[in-house]
Amino acid sequence: MADSPSSQSSPMTHHKYSYHVENAGEGNHRAEKFLSAFAAILRHSNYRFIVELFARTTARCGRCAASCQVYQASNDPRDIPCYRTQLLLDVYRQYFTSSGQFRSRILGEDALSEAKMDEMAECFYRCMACRRCSIDCPLGLDHGLMTHLGRYILSEAGIAPKGLVVSVREQLEGATANTSAIPLPALLDNLEFLKDELRETKGASVDFPVDQENAEYIFFPAVSDYLMEADTLMGNAAVLHATGTSWTIGSQYFDGINYGLFYNDWILERIIHKLVGEARRLKAKKVLVGECGHAARSARQFVPTFAGDQNLPVVSVLELTWQAVKAGKLRLKPGVITERVTYHDPCNIARSGWIVDQPREILRSFVSDFVEMNPHGRENYCCGGGSGLVSLDETHDFRMKVSGKTKAEQIRASGAQIVATPCANCKKQLRELVDYYKLPVQIVGVHDLILRAVEL
Amino acid sequence: MPTWLTLAKGPAFLFVLAVFALGLLRLIVLTVWDILAAVHRAGNRRMPYRQILRQTLSWLLPVNHLHRARPAYSFASFGLHVSILLVGLFLRNHLDILQANIGFAWWSISKPILDVLTLIGIAGAAFLLLSRIYVMSSQRLSRTSDYLLLLLLLNILVSGYLAGRDWNPIPYDELMLFHVLNGMALLLVAPFSKIAHCVLFPFIRLGAEVAWHLTPRGGSEVIQTLHGPQGRKI
Ligand code: SF4
Repeated sequence: MADSPSSQSSPMTHHKYSYHVENAGEGNHRAEKFLSAFAAILRHSNYRFIVELFARTTARCGRCAASCQVYQASNDPRDIPCYRTQLLLDVYRQYFTSSGQFRSRILGEDALSEAKMDEMAECFYRCMACRRCSIDCPLGLDHGLMTHLGRYILSEAGIAPKGLVVSVREQLEGATANTSAIPLPALLDNLEFLKDELRETKGASVDFPVDQENAEYIFFPAVSDYLMEADTLMGNAAVLHATGTSWTIGSQYFDGINYGLFYNDWILERIIHKLVGEARRLKAKKVLVGECGHAARSARQFVPTFAGDQNLPVVSVLELTWQAVKAGKLRLKPGVITERVTYHDPCNIARSGWIVDQPREILRSFVSDFVEMNPHGRENYCCGGGSGLVSLDETHDFRMKVSGKTKAEQIRASGAQIVATPCANCKKQLRELVDYYKLPVQIVGVHDLILRAVEL
Repeated sequence: MPTWLTLAKGPAFLFVLAVFALGLLRLIVLTVWDILAAVHRAGNRRMPYRQILRQTLSWLLPVNHLHRARPAYSFASFGLHVSILLVGLFLRNHLDILQANIGFAWWSISKPILDVLTLIGIAGAAFLLLSRIYVMSSQRLSRTSDYLLLLLLLNILVSGYLAGRDWNPIPYDELMLFHVLNGMALLLVAPFSKIAHCVLFPFIRLGAEVAWHLTPRGGSEVIQTLHGPQGRKI
């Protein structure tokens, strides 16, 4: 959002961007702060060589423009993946390479201007870091990585979405230690409720173990599932029960969400340490992540990075359920789900090819009318709320009219009555799209459908 | 001997060749070194090397990729790449110059084939240039150097093609001087421009994957550098 000159001088700088930021008074010296943050990050991380490599080779061919759903919907040049990446590469070239410093002295190139800062702050939050564009880059540039880095630098310069920061603060420094601020007694109540529900609907006594030591798995769903996705959680528990899996929830820390992946590596690492700490406290053998794309990816990718050893494998609940289906350990009644079902791939688990076939094989095993959206799998379109955008209510308009438009069209074209997707963020965004575009579909988790069909 | 031939067989050309080869070699060495260092610093050193290799190789002959996004542009670009590589590296006359400069060369491809490839290259370069000028998304991405490099390639391809025609209207020696000068300019700028991707290409996908493998404690070190030992609140 371009700001008017008057808003620049006003103290209400938190309205400067299309997302809210804290510390409204600290809008000054943004460029200086950005440059010191950039310098510090280059010094202490692995990013320098990749920025250098991208800066040396980027051909600006623009093929990525054709694969980005944001640009396709907005037609705004600043949404071209490569254009956004150049913003960061330009700052790097000008301030952190000797030839760039020399050039800017000779040509008197602009310093990092206020307008440039505005543009970066805006552009890096119009990309969902879905990494679809990297599939079509002939050279293999990863614009999602540049968005990740751009946001990291911005956040160390004081520019980060309030919605993410507040949640993370509660998770890492607050009393409840989770992003939804659920107190432990409320969680325990909730588990009792889920148990009762399962007894009533399925006639089985399914346990939600808490603080059991030496379990095979310690379970971390997106914590918001405890408030909003009862069916998903009951489906998870039903599978664990039916397969006789030993598992536990940790009372000290039970949140799988890691917004660090969306904006800051320091946060990312601290959250991983909390998760690993709880797993170690309860001597769990593996981490089991619930239905959540970014939670699964951040744990899978970064537990081995930050936990110091490789002895704590990370498994997605979809992998576990898939194994159970393959081994014939789950009785899923065909004919229960009569509606037409499609599956939406969360980018964070599909783009790398990690979880693409498993949920499909699970669904096909008991859903009679399963259809695909086109394209899907590794090449799927993002729900339009990725990289934390869905948690920022103020981005609703953008998510509906621009970033989520393609997905809404895809869902409509599929003719499905149910969209199953194993991700708390995707579900929230898709439900908002359904309201906005008046789509005749229901959005559920994969385990919500399993819950309906499973025989215990 | 005409000026262009003296030039092409003289020390100036040898110098340009040396800048080209050593410049690109330097980039390879630096990049490999950087990647090794990054892998060493990474908290998790396991990389999906096979998958990266497969993806990288699939782009060397990108037949399955071209039609997916901006097909016309992609085919033009692919044609241009094939043309430059084959004509540049396998034309008898080029190899003779190389032989004269460094004392060895390799086999050549027959002239009629290379003539067709040159035409494909000309069409490709012209298409890319026009796209950059007229297509909005390309326009906004393009920098001066992008236009200049395409012009340079067009100069080389067109002059080279004309030089081999009997109907060439331009005096031969002048035309060849133009061809050689433009060729030398291209070799000279290669290591310092985006043409560096000709040798760095195999490292980009690998590098992007390695870069996602973060360094333990990197985040807190950044905080210390920026805010001192007391750190900062979230
Ligand atoms: S990562 Fe996704 S949203 Fe971002 S530029 Fe690429 S395709 Fe577009």
